[in-house]
Parts: sequence; C-alpha cells; structure tokens
Amino acid sequence: MTTLSNPGYPPGTVITGKWRNSRYIVERMLGKGANGKVYLVHRAGVRGRYALKVGHDALDLQSEINVLNALKEQMPDPYLVEADDHHDGSHEVSFYVMRYIEGSPLHRFIRKRGTEWVSLIGLKLLEKLSVLHASGYAFGDLKPDNVMVSAYGRVELIDYGGVSSFGRSVKQFTEWYDRGYWNAGSRTGDVSYDLFSFAVMCIGLLDEKSLREASCQLPQTRSVADLQLILRRNPVFKPYAVWLNKALCGNFADSREALNEWKKRMYEGTVKSARPIPGRTPRWLRNAFALSLVIMACAVYFFFRS
Amino acid sequence: MKQILLITDGCSNVGASPVLAAAHALQDGIVVNVVGVLDYGTIGELGGLEIKEIAKAGGGIHRIVGTPQLAQTMQMMTRKTVVQTIQQAVNKEIQHILGSGSLEELPPDKRSQVVEVVDELAETSSLQVALLIDASASMKPKLAAVEEAIRDLMLSLKARLGSSKLSVFHFPGKHSGEDVVMDVDWTSDLDGARGMFSRLQMKGATPTGPALLKVIEFYRYGTLEGNQSWQGDSSQEEGMLGDYVV
Repeated sequence: MTTLSNPGYPPGTVITGKWRNSRYIVERMLGKGANGKVYLVHRAGVRGRYALKVGHDALDLQSEINVLNALKEQMPDPYLVEADDHHDGSHEVSFYVMRYIEGSPLHRFIRKRGTEWVSLIGLKLLEKLSVLHASGYAFGDLKPDNVMVSAYGRVELIDYGGVSSFGRSVKQFTEWYDRGYWNAGSRTGDVSYDLFSFAVMCIGLLDEKSLREASCQLPQTRSVADLQLILRRNPVFKPYAVWLNKALCGNFADSREALNEWKKRMYEGTVKSARPIPGRTPRWLRNAFALSLVIMACAVYFFFRS
Repeated sequence: MKQILLITDGCSNVGASPVLAAAHALQDGIVVNVVGVLDYGTIGELGGLEIKEIAKAGGGIHRIVGTPQLAQTMQMMTRKTVVQTIQQAVNKEIQHILGSGSLEELPPDKRSQVVEVVDELAETSSLQVALLIDASASMKPKLAAVEEAIRDLMLSLKARLGSSKLSVFHFPGKHSGEDVVMDVDWTSDLDGARGMFSRLQMKGATPTGPALLKVIEFYRYGTLEGNQSWQGDSSQEEGMLGDYVV
C-alpha cells in the first residue's frame, strides 16, 4: 500500500505536457526509484505504451534527461521519447517518457529461468555497457533491479539517475555493488567501476548466500579477497572465475576487452563441456568390453584346438 | 561551500538554543544538516522536533535513520545540499536576469543548459563539511557505525573533482567548560586517522547549541582556540558585574 504522504497517481490520471501538449494516461505504477516514480502509460488516442517517470526534484530529473539526450545519438533505438512538465493540481512536476520494456528485473528472471542464462544475459549486458562507456559515461548504480530482462534474454538498462561522466564522482550507488564498499577503490565513475559492480552482481546471482555472508563482516576488513574466496569455494563459478577475478581487480583496459573476453570464455566453456560427453565412455562399459574380448579370445582358442 | 552535519540521537539540554545557533551558521553561509540516529525505541517528540527545527534554521535537511542506513544517508544529504546551495545561487541569478522565475519555470531546452552548469559546479566547487557528533552516553553504542559512515563519506567526497575537506568534532568535552572537542582537523584523507573517538568520555549532558556555535567559530577563525580571548573578555565582564553587585 502506498502511504498517505506519497500516494502517486491513480490509474486513469491524465498527465499533460506543459510545453509540448502531449497527453498520457496512467495505467499503473511500475516502481519507485531514488528520484522519482515510474508509471506505465499510454498516449491519448494512440495504442503504444510507454514508461513515464515523474521526478521528485526538477533538477535531479533534468540532469538524468541531459544524460539520456546525450546518449540519444549513440543508441540505435533511442530510449528517451520526450521530456516535459505537468501541473498536477497542487504543483508543477517534471517528467520524461521512455520506451516501455516489458520484462522482469534480472534477479527474478534468473531465479525463474535458471542460472544457465547468466552467461548470455551477461554478454548482452556487457554490450549495453560498452555502448554507454563508448559515449564517456559510467552507469554507476548497476544492480539487478536496474537491469530489465524481457523474454528470451533481451536486456535493457533502466534508471539512468546514477549515470555520470568518466572521471566524475558516482551519483548513486548501492552498497553491495559499490567498489568503495568493498574497500576496492574510489567512487569515481569509470569503466572498472561498472565492471566491478557487474562482477559482484554475477556473484550475487550465482551464490547470493555467500555474498550476503561476506558483506556481513566488519567494514574495515571487508575486501576483494572475500569476493575472490567465494569464487574459489563454489564450483558454480568455474566458467566465470577468471573473468570475474579480472573485473574485481580492475584489470580490464576497457569494456570492449571485457566483452570480448567474456564471449571467448563463455563459448570456450560451452564447447569444452560439450566435447567430453561423446568422448568419455563409462569405465564399467570399457571393462565389460575388455572382458568380452577375453572371453571371445578364449572361445576362439578352444574352438580351433578342438 | 560550507556545511555542518550534526549527528545526534536526542534533545539538547544545556546552554544556548541549537536552533538559534543553526540560524547563526546559515547567516555565516554555513548550511546545517541534521541526522537523528535511532536504533531502538523512539527519538521522542521533542527530539524529533528539535532535529527538524535545527535543520530548518540552518537551511539544511534532516533525516532520522538507523545505523545501517547512516552512511548512505550522510552521503545523500551532503550531495543534495551541495546541489541545493548551487541551485539557490543560480535561481538568484535567474531572478536577477529575468526579473522573476526559477529553474523549474524555464523551458526544457534552457533548463537543460542551466542544469548542466549546476552539475558542473556541484562536481568542481570546493566543499567543506564539519561533522559534529553527539557523544552523550546514549550515543556510545552507535559511535563505531558513525565512524564508519564518516570514512564512507570521505570516500565519496574524494571522488569529487573539486577540493573536499572534512573535519570531525564531538561534544561534550571532558570537563564542563569544554563544549566541543576536535577529533580531526580539516583533511581530505582520513586514512591516517584510526580510531577517531578513542579518547572519549561519555557524559549525560548534551550541549548541542554551544557546540554548534564553537564549530561556527572554527569555520571563522580556523581554530577552536580563536575564541579564547573572547572568553577572557567575558570573564572580565563577569568580574565587573561582580564589582557592581558588591
């Protein structure tokens, strides 16, 4: 239930743009972010559905819009539709409209469909990140809630409120996925900051219990070594360990390199795990075969002797 | 930009009004933010009200949180206040140029440009944050978390492009005349400072107001002792008054 002080808009509310006059009708609330609420809406008179974010603060929202505008040129299919203001009876609020991505947050998708999806989704997510990085931005607040996965593993980053230019301080972060939290480096937005978050996210998806335990210890003793220990202990990480280790240590030069290496390791992994199956014969079968050869040899020997 | 971040868990009970002290701070261009730290029970109606009033008088924001959210909250408040301070200055300029209006009323393309400038300034301007910690008896179990949160804040500040400095004070001091004790002088690196609150003596009194005034003086003169001459004067006045009485 929503609280009285923060009710949000009920379904059917019409949001009208002050500058561009577009009208959107609220279907339901999709979620609440750090600096606004996101609604599922459709444009009046048109079938298409969109996600519409209403900001708590015009300034915060505008700096998010600025980033999205800057990214518009780089992205093949733009995310931002339009930005405007709306007068909701009591006061003026800013909002922007974005593409609606139907799907579920990463952690729920994995829980439902299984951890074998991690390699493919990881690959797609790294592709997204490398586009962002190529434009000179770090995502910042990378966590499962901010990664939407639609059917068949299509991946989309949502909530660009934490995005900052390279070299600037990270605007928003979440403890577990923050490099500073693990005493592993600064909170400056750069390629390795995002890759670090990505690595912790993978660890959380594959072995949440161990990550939770590691995060419970004293803040001053928390370190990358604890994360590396998880990688060594749990065999589930075998195909990922080398890559994740490299990301945790900030050893990738850029996200292209990280992406290529992920690709290489994941595909190598599938080939390797696929090959031994036809090659390896169970021991009992080999022994039985050897035994049958011996028996046959004996039979042939006795046959000719008689 | 100058900020004071007061971390407390209840009501002041000694000396000058902390609300008045916060108003003085704002007059000096120092924004006062207040975090009420609460793990069990309630902060009390009076305590909650005082926290709100101090922040209002000091032009800042207030939050009441448990120790697990402390680090995140302090970081958010500091950041928000930086942006707000710049926003206020920008709004003043907009009013100056356009005669009226504010950032929110600008058309989207103009606003986008202004916000770019605000973001730039928020990242690059120099920032000072004085942390003032209530170290009265009830705060004792929370001080380890407070110290961790301070280190975490420093980490966030270090990532800024502009110069960022932090200092740490706690109150009350060892004896009754000492309203505040400096734990860490202005620094942009806390790595050397281990165990900030090791030489602490817990007492019941909570002189929030006087402690705030001392930190304002610290901002003004760069030292807590800068006011000693003034203290001397006051004792002289007292002496004179005594003479009159006799």
